[in-house]
Amino acid sequence: MPRKSDVTAKMEDVGIEIDGNLSDSDEDASPRRGKRKPGTRGRGKKPVSDDEEEEEDTPRNRKGANKKKATKLHDSDDNSEEDAPKRRRGAANNKKKGGKVQDSEDDSEEEKGNKRNRKGATGKKGKEEDTKEKKGDTKGKGKGKEDEKDKKNKKKKESSSDTDSNTDSEDESMSEGEMERLKEEVEEKKKIIATIRNKPWRMKRRLVHLKECQAFVDKFEGALGKGKGKKFYAYKVMMMKKWIKFQRDFENFKTTCIPWERKIKEVESHFGSSVASYFIFLRWMYGMNMVLFGLTFGLVVIPEVLMGLPYGSIPRKTVPRAEQATAQDYSVLMDFNGYCKYSVLFYGYYNNQRTIGLLKFRLPLSYLMVGVGTFGYSLMVVIRTMAKNADVGGGDGDEGEFTFSWKMFTSWDYLIGNAETADNKFASITTSFKESIVDEQENQKDENIHLRRFLRVLANLMIICCLGGSGYLIFFVVKRSQEFANRDDLSWYEKNELELIMSLLGLVCPPLFETIAELEEYHPRIALKWQLGRIFALFLGNLYTFLFALFDEVNNKLEEEKSIMNASIWAQKEYYANFTLHNNDSEATAPPIDPSDVIRGPCWETAVGIEFVKLTVSDIQVTYLTILIGDFARAVIVRFLNYCWCWDLEATYPSYGEFDISGNVLGLVFNQGMIWMGAFYAPGLVGINVLRLLSSMYYQCWAVMATNVPHERVFKASKSNNFYMGLLLLILFLSLLPVVYTIMTLPPSFDCGPFSGKAKMFDVIMETIDLDLPAFLGTLFSYAANPGLIIPAVLLMVLAIYYLNSVSEAYKHANAELKKKMQMARDEEKNRRNNTESTDQVMKDLEDLLPNRSLLPPAPPPEPSADKADQGGKSPKVKPGTAGKDVKLQKDVSLSSPNPNSRGAVTRPPGPRGPGSLPGNGQQGTGAGPGRGRGQPPPRH
Amino acid sequence: MGSRASTLLREEEIEEIKKETGFSHSQITRLYSRFTSLDKGENGTLSREDFQRIPELAINPLGDRIINAFFPEGEDQVNFRGFMRTLAHFRPIEDNEKNKDAAASEPLNSRTNKLLFAFRLYDLDRDDKISRDELLQVLRMMVGVNISDDQLGSIADRTIQEADQNGDNSISFNEFIKVLEKVDVEQKMSIRFLH
Repeated sequence: MPRKSDVTAKMEDVGIEIDGNLSDSDEDASPRRGKRKPGTRGRGKKPVSDDEEEEEDTPRNRKGANKKKATKLHDSDDNSEEDAPKRRRGAANNKKKGGKVQDSEDDSEEEKGNKRNRKGATGKKGKEEDTKEKKGDTKGKGKGKEDEKDKKNKKKKESSSDTDSNTDSEDESMSEGEMERLKEEVEEKKKIIATIRNKPWRMKRRLVHLKECQAFVDKFEGALGKGKGKKFYAYKVMMMKKWIKFQRDFENFKTTCIPWERKIKEVESHFGSSVASYFIFLRWMYGMNMVLFGLTFGLVVIPEVLMGLPYGSIPRKTVPRAEQATAQDYSVLMDFNGYCKYSVLFYGYYNNQRTIGLLKFRLPLSYLMVGVGTFGYSLMVVIRTMAKNADVGGGDGDEGEFTFSWKMFTSWDYLIGNAETADNKFASITTSFKESIVDEQENQKDENIHLRRFLRVLANLMIICCLGGSGYLIFFVVKRSQEFANRDDLSWYEKNELELIMSLLGLVCPPLFETIAELEEYHPRIALKWQLGRIFALFLGNLYTFLFALFDEVNNKLEEEKSIMNASIWAQKEYYANFTLHNNDSEATAPPIDPSDVIRGPCWETAVGIEFVKLTVSDIQVTYLTILIGDFARAVIVRFLNYCWCWDLEATYPSYGEFDISGNVLGLVFNQGMIWMGAFYAPGLVGINVLRLLSSMYYQCWAVMATNVPHERVFKASKSNNFYMGLLLLILFLSLLPVVYTIMTLPPSFDCGPFSGKAKMFDVIMETIDLDLPAFLGTLFSYAANPGLIIPAVLLMVLAIYYLNSVSEAYKHANAELKKKMQMARDEEKNRRNNTESTDQVMKDLEDLLPNRSLLPPAPPPEPSADKADQGGKSPKVKPGTAGKDVKLQKDVSLSSPNPNSRGAVTRPPGPRGPGSLPGNGQQGTGAGPGRGRGQPPPRH
Repeated sequence: MGSRASTLLREEEIEEIKKETGFSHSQITRLYSRFTSLDKGENGTLSREDFQRIPELAINPLGDRIINAFFPEGEDQVNFRGFMRTLAHFRPIEDNEKNKDAAASEPLNSRTNKLLFAFRLYDLDRDDKISRDELLQVLRMMVGVNISDDQLGSIADRTIQEADQNGDNSISFNEFIKVLEKVDVEQKMSIRFLH
């Protein structure tokens, strides 16, 4: 505390000193003004406003002020006609400032901080002002022992104010100039309020002006400690500070809430943006899957668990007696048979009861809706993200001009004070340099086109062969597995052949493609896209072969089902007939058959679900094992065997692994396709996927940092990873097809799942419409489903798409045009700036020659017209011939003209003069006064 | 500490610094207490070691250059005046200063002076040109040994090629300004000193 109060005391001293200085200089320059200053508020007000303007222009640089004051005084000797514009100017300045302060709420945070400081400071200024005034009254600029007293007073006041608010730290942080200025502004405003009646303005303008002034006075009088708003003001300032602080904290909090941001940044700084783009994609996928998970579990799984019939109550929820012996075996469970199969994870477990529980939850309807909603939501999110990314991508226009120079001169972040962060920054600078080098090399490469073309064709040919081969292999394996399905004596290999082959293909083909792709010598970024496309085709082939095989299986099961359904019904009848026969008692009802004994159908939906879950799980296993063996084990071996090996393992073969972006991205996309397809038949799949993504985030981040080395040619990923999104969208569409097909065409199993007993799955919607909604809605829907309506609707949509497309094309075109124009304007401005500088130089010389005519405008030619316009509106008294005054007046107006909107207090007549009619003065700031623009080059913008 | 700051700092000195740098009184006293806290030798001047204790400068690859910028040629001590003069480069440009009469001497925190400060960081031999060797040195500081010398050389060449306009294979101050034309130097090279 002693430190603070001391400092404040110190500052006070200086404040006084400044005052002294000011009055000193005043007296030096003109005794007249000195006399006038303590005088009454009539005419003596004017110099005050002058002072204030000076303050604003040069709050700290007092040297220049004196000189200017001289000219100012010279001005004040002129006609009273000048008063009007000048006062106006002052008012405008005030207004501008007021506006600025008010705008501060919209400003960026930092500015807010600044402003806040100032405001906080002004709260205290008032008190100091008081003291100072007292002092000024008593002994002018004396400063001596009495100061000590004042200081003490001051301290007392300060300590009392501490209770008001804890802004005392701001006490030291204000400058006396600002305080002074503010006070004078308030005075000025008050004066305006008092004299507004006399102003020759229109009523509307007066009212507007009056309101502004009053608002200003209200706002700052409190700050200066005069009005009753002092306490309120302090309170307001405090609350404002708190609020801003809260906002800032909240902003920080929001940033820390972005999951894995730090991890990803760390990876990015070491491995470049391309690897980071994978992790960003992974994070995005996790977010989307969390929503899907919420939908599925919240609306299907949990209601079923809570309100549905318990396990063992009905056949579909019971393990059949034949399987019960092995139902808990590990191997069976790992195949998702046994208890897993008859659990809430799969389609077959759900009952077809229309409503369950007390809440009459319509589970079948909800099941269907969630299935459709999953796709709807995914589509929406993917497309929205793509659109957003495209938006971001278009933002930066002109880079590439000084890439290396900027990297060289501006890449270091000077605020880094933490060693670890600095390491990361080093790494990222290095990486970004490497990225630029790669780009640069690509640009400068001259190539043999014919050879390159030949090689590219060759590479594509080879890759197509690979794709065809692998597709056939999968088809073959699927056929074989169908044969195996009818046999029981299967070895482990034969059981898992399909998954193994697919995983193996996924393992072998991508590196093969990569090797082949080296023939092509694309830029790594483009090569990555090709690679992605090819592996995507591979996976797609796999996926679709797998799907067609699955459909074969499903059709077989459907056949089988029919006979079983008959058998089941027959068995049930037989059971009851036998019961009555044995008991000879037609009255007694037979006890129901034990649910595990009922003959049941194959339930193809569950079978499909199990296939997908198995595929997903084996995919997870393969991915994780690959990382563990391919990366981790390799890294360990290379690292530690290197001590006792014939050649340098780290530098030459095999070295450390690189992070395989394409493989990982596609693994993710493909996996997501599995989830989308399988989620309808196995609601638990989404949960498994969420776990997978979560673990893989940590696991892969660790693996990449611990075991991989950056790519030899680190390249910059395109800013939007829209290519990934595009792949995702494609696979989403492709996985949508089979699911919708099954929902719309295949009959659901008769004894399992929420839709059992219906001819088609979507009948559940019809049922709801018929039973639960009013009748007219049903007819409405039937109308809506009429092809006569649907076809026009589709047509309309197509037309709309066409229209929007062409509109966006047009916008793109316009955008390009505008960019070109902007570039041109920039060049032009540059040229003009150079030119005006030179002319200004000339003007300066001229003015130096003619000291008395120093107020000559810098650019004479366009003036006469503007001049006339001004005179017509404003000062008819002035004759066009009287050069000095005329020009001065004209210049006055022209100075206020460039930005008419921001200066409401200017009483510019609504004449025909355009704002930019005076190119010579157009660039001068609004704050400059008459005669001050002497030899002044236009400010840099 | 603050009491010492205010007692050691004479009013006339504050006034002069104020005139020279444009800092406000409270800023000066504040910075003075910072100065004294950095001054481990307690002799009223700062040495290079004092600066190197600041973590931001210790980590910064260009830290030595920045520290050098505080010291006048050939000296290895800097007093408070010199300290403030260097810091004045980083004073934010205020709105009302922008339109100021530039016929008077340009303030230390003008765009040009800010850029000149940055330029000096790279211009080791003070010949008002950044040569290829100087660029290479900076690069080596910034990327360490992670990039081969060849590549560093090509980066330096590229940089010069981008920026050089008069073909003397070095970057002059004017060219430097041109390169950073679109960088918001006024904002980036400003520190918000507490008022």
